[in-house]
Amino acid sequence: MFYFIGLGLADEKDITVKGLEIVQRAERVYLEAYTAILMVDQEKLEAFYGRPLILADREMVESSSDTILENAANVDIAFLVVGDPFGATTHTDLSLRARALNIPTRTVHNASILTGVSITGLSLYNFGQTTSMVFFTESWRPASFYDRLAENASLGLHSLVLLDIKVKEPDLDALARTGRVKYDPPRFMSCAQCVSQMLEIEESREQGVCKADKLVVGVARVGSENQIVVAGTLGEMRDVELGEPLHSVVLLGTRTYDLEREFLLEFAKNKESFNKAWEEGGYGKA
Amino acid sequence: MVNFTVEEIRELMDKAANVRNMSVIAHVDHGKSTLTDSLVQRAGIISAAKAGEARFTDTRADEQERGVTIKSTAISLYAQLKEEEDLKEIPFKVEKNDFLINLIDSPGHVDFSSEVTAALRVTDGALVVVDTIEGVCVQTETVLRQALGERIKPVVIINKVDRALLELQLEKEDLFQNFSRVIESVNVVISTYFDKSLGDVQVYPDKGTVAFGSGLHGWAFTIRQFAARYAKKFGVDKNKMMSRLWGDQWFNPKTKKWTTTAPDGVERSFNSFVLDPIYKIFNAVMNVKKDEVLKLVNALDIKLTNDEKDLEGKAQLKVVMRKFLPAADALLEMMILHLPSPAQAQKYRMETLYEGPHDDEAAIGIRDCDPKGPLMLYVSKMVPTSDKGRFYAFGRVFSGTVRSGLKVRIQGPHYTPGKKDDLFIKAVQRTILMMGRFIEPIEDVPAGNICGLVGIDQFLLKSGTLTTSETAHNLKVMKFSVSPVVERSVEVKNANDLPKLVEGLKRLSKSDPCVLTYINPSGDHIVAGAGELHLEICLKDLEEDHACVPLKFSDPVVQYRESVGGISSITALSKSPNKHNRLYVTAQPLEEEVSKAIEEGKIGPRDDFKARARILADEHGWDVTDARKIWCFGPDTSGPNLFVDQTKAVQYLNEIKDSVVSGFSWATREGPVAEEPLRSTRFNLLDVTLHADAIHRGAGQIMPTCRRVLYASMLLAKPAILEPVYLVEIQVPEQAMGGIYGVLTRRRGHVFEEAQRPGTPLYNIKAYLPVNESFGFVADLRQGTGGQAFPQSVFDHWQILPGDPTDKATKSGQVVEAMRIKKGLKPDVPDYTNYYDKL
Repeated sequence: MFYFIGLGLADEKDITVKGLEIVQRAERVYLEAYTAILMVDQEKLEAFYGRPLILADREMVESSSDTILENAANVDIAFLVVGDPFGATTHTDLSLRARALNIPTRTVHNASILTGVSITGLSLYNFGQTTSMVFFTESWRPASFYDRLAENASLGLHSLVLLDIKVKEPDLDALARTGRVKYDPPRFMSCAQCVSQMLEIEESREQGVCKADKLVVGVARVGSENQIVVAGTLGEMRDVELGEPLHSVVLLGTRTYDLEREFLLEFAKNKESFNKAWEEGGYGKA
Repeated sequence: MVNFTVEEIRELMDKAANVRNMSVIAHVDHGKSTLTDSLVQRAGIISAAKAGEARFTDTRADEQERGVTIKSTAISLYAQLKEEEDLKEIPFKVEKNDFLINLIDSPGHVDFSSEVTAALRVTDGALVVVDTIEGVCVQTETVLRQALGERIKPVVIINKVDRALLELQLEKEDLFQNFSRVIESVNVVISTYFDKSLGDVQVYPDKGTVAFGSGLHGWAFTIRQFAARYAKKFGVDKNKMMSRLWGDQWFNPKTKKWTTTAPDGVERSFNSFVLDPIYKIFNAVMNVKKDEVLKLVNALDIKLTNDEKDLEGKAQLKVVMRKFLPAADALLEMMILHLPSPAQAQKYRMETLYEGPHDDEAAIGIRDCDPKGPLMLYVSKMVPTSDKGRFYAFGRVFSGTVRSGLKVRIQGPHYTPGKKDDLFIKAVQRTILMMGRFIEPIEDVPAGNICGLVGIDQFLLKSGTLTTSETAHNLKVMKFSVSPVVERSVEVKNANDLPKLVEGLKRLSKSDPCVLTYINPSGDHIVAGAGELHLEICLKDLEEDHACVPLKFSDPVVQYRESVGGISSITALSKSPNKHNRLYVTAQPLEEEVSKAIEEGKIGPRDDFKARARILADEHGWDVTDARKIWCFGPDTSGPNLFVDQTKAVQYLNEIKDSVVSGFSWATREGPVAEEPLRSTRFNLLDVTLHADAIHRGAGQIMPTCRRVLYASMLLAKPAILEPVYLVEIQVPEQAMGGIYGVLTRRRGHVFEEAQRPGTPLYNIKAYLPVNESFGFVADLRQGTGGQAFPQSVFDHWQILPGDPTDKATKSGQVVEAMRIKKGLKPDVPDYTNYYDKL
């Protein structure tokens, strides 16, 4: 049996009891650590689970999934995924490959940022399409996220923006030049960087979807002891420092309720400007 | 010894009309360096006694030893016209009768023709030297073509006339016919490469653009000089006289009339007025008729010392002829009167030199040759200094003024305006004048002149643009007519010396415009050159001058290229690692003419895409839509492989373009068959499916996928291996011809042209010979012909190596297997399914 097991959002103790039981009895346990990370390192997980883990990086999962799936038809293999296995991170391909090899699979769910973001007080019912923000490079500044934000905004829906993380990403310049793989140091996008990239694209698109006076909520380390939620205009959030990774950003839709406003006000960076932006931005009226 | 000073030179530099930048170009052994000597002698640097033997511009010991020029060498000369009033004949305004001639002597052997390219770039005129007896040879044609491509105006000297008289004992009329034939064949080449902006640059003796002479004996003349002598005597205008002294013109001494048909028993005017005195001198001196010699000398107003009167034979001939017709006079006159000044030349050269818009400040500075404009300087090559490991950057100031301490932008060939790649901002440490073996420091150098720079070498690999304008584009990168197709690997004998080898390779690569050094995938250090001789010289330099440690060299091997022989049998599909993205591609051969045009720089990545599409559609039959959607060239963003976007209305396509381009440049640098570079392959992107979210289609997902799909498409399109082929020109006497055919056939070569040189027993044979079969060819040929055949090989084209490279029974399969094993790859060529994903 091949188990996809969600690890939740914060630390080693977020695993479910069901998940933990499987981890402890499985033949091999893989830890996927490139689409998201926990606040704790692998040793801590191993100490708590009481068994060694095999680190599965992008290369292993995408290019040599056969080693992961090997013999899974006969023995139990656990594949640990931060968050919920089929939530924000997409492991459908691995599941499809298991199916092709007639390997039975089962999933143990857990909390994901897709649900955890409700800590902001925004109603999950009113979120539109989720989108991701990548690190812009000198020549690669994809703006397609803007279309998603615009579509959501036209319906008054909130947009959850997931932020790029680069763990063990090959240095592509070096790869293309020498054909040899060299890894960049890990990088995580901050809320501030995401906001400034949104503002940059707004400047060229000029549809007013994420202008400097629109409201956004930044969250950091959701599910952990030191989680942070900060709300403000894009202009304000451009230089807000939320500390350690991982961060996410929500662009507010106009279809909001009084309760949401009350809840968010607590997190406002500046209550006055928050209220002003709320009134002038037409929030709560759609 | 030096009869001019740096100050004098510096003063002249400011008067662009008084500057001539010229290169001396020719086929090997036609006498460039020897002729150059007679000019240098006039400027007073070597003594008259040694001229003809010293080869001042051959600065290296091995050049002197072999008698072959290897590196181009620059020298600045100070010159005056003999007659002040001749200034009026210069087609533009010149105030003073003082001229600065920057002269570059270049190698004639084809293996070093990249040196010629570098020389041509910084000059405006060329002195083309042609051997009277051998005539226009393959390299004469090549360099002439290169010169015209750079919009360089040629003048011609027909050299080694002494041999025609002494060895072949030609009659006057035969010699005239010989001259006419040589001039005609030069003009055939010139008119083939006619360029509207340059105008008609064919050469005519009666216009003064052709000289005749002997570099070895130090004499030369133009029709103009003789016309000047006779104009007084006949009392006619000099220009009129000139037209009468060449071609079908006769003077009947009885009737004192000029006619254009031959009267009985009268020689044509060229023979009777020009050649006759020369023949008389030769006759008298060589037959030791002392009285006659003295009579002639007096009649011609030549003053001999008593010692000189006592000389005999060739020694006396040299002295008399040199005093009668000094080579320097004829050459200097021809250059000053007929070659353009930088101010003239840059007007029409700007558009071929400059990559940027033709109306920005840099372009205008170049066009006007403005010493006060923004600095635009092209570094064409690096010259080793006496300080090991350091180089002078040698180049031409096209605009502005370069001076010691000036802060400049050093833009390498990969620089793009507005970006920081391949860009350094550094100060020029010192500016210098290059004078053959010596250098002279100079305060500053204004537009239109050639100079050397100290302190730039660390920031440029081989060549590049120096400027003070932040918006300036690059001056165009030089296109070489040769490519590094032969390579050898290098090892140190002592493992401890490895760092020295690595450093030495870096220096070698700097010191030669064409040599290529790299590390192959199995970790060997490779040096690649244009031919066996070039490589031999490079490796010798590497061992003795650059690395200074004992080295071991492998046998020479040939570089191959990968290509395809057909269209992909099915559309190749590859999925990204996360399976969210799919690319659909087919491969097909690129038309040979298009590949050639790309290699010659006629079609390039920096062209305006509409103009480029027009050329592709009109001249090469491309579909205009396809032609407008060329995404990239490769390898190295400029190679002869193309990627064409044929998709219809795909969203976000522009967001993956960058990653696709990187994947393409990776795949074109190392092909699927043997990890050799690709050539002449065109890829069509038919369709893509992409994840909506950018994070799932980043470079990490798309780039490797693009490479895989290109590989799959090639392996589905009859992959082929291309091998380089030489054009070999062989001069051989008739009786030894049989041997040539035998040697060529054994080496998979074939003759495609065979022509007798009129007036000589020599045959000129042209053949194609695979470079791979050329090692030891020269020795083999000498043996096969009793030492009577002299071949010149120059890279000509790529041809498909027969056979399927994936089948080890074929020649091409064996070559591929050997290459794969050498590179540490699996011996079998991977199947397309390794790169192809099923739907």
